[in-house]
Amino acid sequence: MELLELLKTLISADNKFVKEWKRRNKPVLGYVCSYTPEEIIYAGGILPVRVLGSLEPSRLADVYLPVNVCSFAKSCFNRALKGEYSLLDGYVVSNSCDNQNKIYDLWRHHTTIHKTYFINTPHSTTENALRFFCEELGRFKEWLMKSFEIEISEQNLKNAIKVFNENRRLLKQVYELRKQNPPLVSGSEALEIVLSSMMIPKNEHNKLLKALLDEIEGRGNPPKEGMRLLVSGSVMGDSELLRLIESVGGSVVADDLCTGSRYFWNLVRKGREPMMAIAERYLHKVPCPFMYSSEERFRHVREMAKLFGVEGVIIFCLKFCDVHSFDAPLLAEELKEEGLPVLCLEWEYSLSGVAQLRTRIEAFIEMLEG
Amino acid sequence: MSERRLETLKGFYANYVKPFYESAHKAEEEGKLVAWVASTFPVEILLAIDIIPVWPENYASLCAARRVSVPLCELAERKGFSKDLCSYARCVLGSLFDGESLPEGGIPKPDLLVASTCACDTHLKWFQVASRIFKKPLFLLDVPYNVKGASSENLDYRYVQHYVSQLEALAGLLEKHCGTKLDGDKLKRTLKLSNRASELWLEIQDCRKNVPTPMGAREAFSAVYFMLCIPGTEQAVGFYEKLCSELEQRVKEGVGIIENEKYRLVWDNLPLWFDLQFFQYLETLGAVVVAETFSHVWAGNLDPSKPYESLARKYLSNMANCAIERRIRLIAGLVKDFRANGVVLPTNWGCRMMTIGETVVKEKIREMTGVSSLILDVDSTDWRNYDEYQVKTKLETYLKTLK
Repeated sequence: MELLELLKTLISADNKFVKEWKRRNKPVLGYVCSYTPEEIIYAGGILPVRVLGSLEPSRLADVYLPVNVCSFAKSCFNRALKGEYSLLDGYVVSNSCDNQNKIYDLWRHHTTIHKTYFINTPHSTTENALRFFCEELGRFKEWLMKSFEIEISEQNLKNAIKVFNENRRLLKQVYELRKQNPPLVSGSEALEIVLSSMMIPKNEHNKLLKALLDEIEGRGNPPKEGMRLLVSGSVMGDSELLRLIESVGGSVVADDLCTGSRYFWNLVRKGREPMMAIAERYLHKVPCPFMYSSEERFRHVREMAKLFGVEGVIIFCLKFCDVHSFDAPLLAEELKEEGLPVLCLEWEYSLSGVAQLRTRIEAFIEMLEG
Repeated sequence: MSERRLETLKGFYANYVKPFYESAHKAEEEGKLVAWVASTFPVEILLAIDIIPVWPENYASLCAARRVSVPLCELAERKGFSKDLCSYARCVLGSLFDGESLPEGGIPKPDLLVASTCACDTHLKWFQVASRIFKKPLFLLDVPYNVKGASSENLDYRYVQHYVSQLEALAGLLEKHCGTKLDGDKLKRTLKLSNRASELWLEIQDCRKNVPTPMGAREAFSAVYFMLCIPGTEQAVGFYEKLCSELEQRVKEGVGIIENEKYRLVWDNLPLWFDLQFFQYLETLGAVVVAETFSHVWAGNLDPSKPYESLARKYLSNMANCAIERRIRLIAGLVKDFRANGVVLPTNWGCRMMTIGETVVKEKIREMTGVSSLILDVDSTDWRNYDEYQVKTKLETYLKTLK
């Protein structure tokens, strides 16, 4: 599948679309959290690009940060220090977790990206919180217009919502193909498809997705059958871990990742004032665990497990990610009560511990196979 | 050196902390409503609804001081809670899995839990876990992050408004849950007492600016208990009045808490609760802690005619809720005002909030004051990774470099 190969190459902050965008003198804005309202950015003719770090060692960032820090947040900062985000004209953070909030201080002090913005995302979903978030997004819009000398009209916002919702629907169609056995799209491929959607203009991605959906039915090399697994965790900016699972007899058919289903599962509702509709979509989406409460996420995982015929769940906890680590034992317990076997793994955002992970995943799959 | 110990602080635990837990357990038995409270939640609101507050954080530090925190942490770890999580949280969750032989009979069981997002993610997550274990509701105060690090007077007014509306809504929910009306007069009285306690606390800190300083960290980390937990009470005011006059007397007589004061230090973050002797060891090196950031974040001038707004201003500007600039300004100010010649920045293994950015703090403090800082890798409650020899060697070497 050439299209799959192409999408994979786009998972980089300097892919050909980003370069082309820059060549036309249009700004690119990096963002790190799935709570960033990309529609507003896109509506202003700015390209939102997800900052995903990398699995390489974070040698430069280690100078400023101790060991007991989220290796993902560290890795993003490391790449910024190395100048690998030099194509970005700005950087947006959301009030998501202590790791991101506090490393944002370091971005401001040590990197050369001067246009930065912090969106004060609430941690609850009350009416009060929604009103505040909507106002906060209004302030973000003002900042975009002033900093980049652009206009963002209501019509632009409506168009952006349409394009983004279409992308979400298409991504859901891709996920649908994983319900069959064996799935028509493997877990690592699905992750790469979703990741690529965060890196290029959404209208372009929609075209690629439609072409992919047309072609994929007749693909010559469908994924192998394997133990049907759901992977739960935070951010996975690289398909390496899922490939590892697939190499030892697993078939990742569903996920609860902030770079997976949590990124696109919910649509912006029609018929509301666009800014409020956007605020509502992000605040009420399948929550990340920094939100109160986690019950909705747990429900999402249980539901996905059912819909996708899942036989076992692997929870990946990034070390020093407090919000996921507190949830992990609770989620594991709930799933076990439903009769689903669970494997909890701690990992660092790097390839250094892969051998150990492989052994444990292999043992888990063998156990499932009985 | 024992004659130098402060009279007011003798028997602090037996006189204040132990009776607090006894009365909380008694209240629990009598069926009064007990709430678990995370620090940085405006407890004055609870007192005005007749809710009995207890502080899991305080309980964790107590368990550490009694050297039982590590076995409790291990119990939580066995239930799947990562070793890298906050040791306060692990210790208290562990205590829920073992009802036997806990200090002070364990922490009283809650009828409800209240937390704020003001300080850290851990408050919210830890309390969410406890709420599930007890099957009791968690009431959350969702606080905007003070991204400019603004002081209480310079806050973005929209943040203040949002805090106020959240607090009003929450007070309504608490009233409904408890079936008790919030007593507005009691709230005002509590705020007035809180103010008085704050004033006294700051006077106490002012006394420590003197050379030699009449009080060190060991005393301060005990005495701050009222500021942290129950500032708006007669007991807090009475205690601080007594402490303040004792310190003023010491200052008049020129008696320092240690005999030969060579190094005056600012201490950031938490102490090693499991080894409070550490400060005595410092004293043997001629070093005394003249200020802790921890002692300078809980005081606040509250206006009883605008209770919610003043609570909003107090907590939104709490260092824990702010961008790094606020912490830097606070520490630099302490260095200057307290004539310190060194700064200790202890990390806390499970605390992202205080650990990240210490390198920036160190660099800026040097720029602003000329004073160098020492980062120490430790933990407040979990001593398993504590390398006493290494820490002390580092510290002694550091002290030798101070002017």
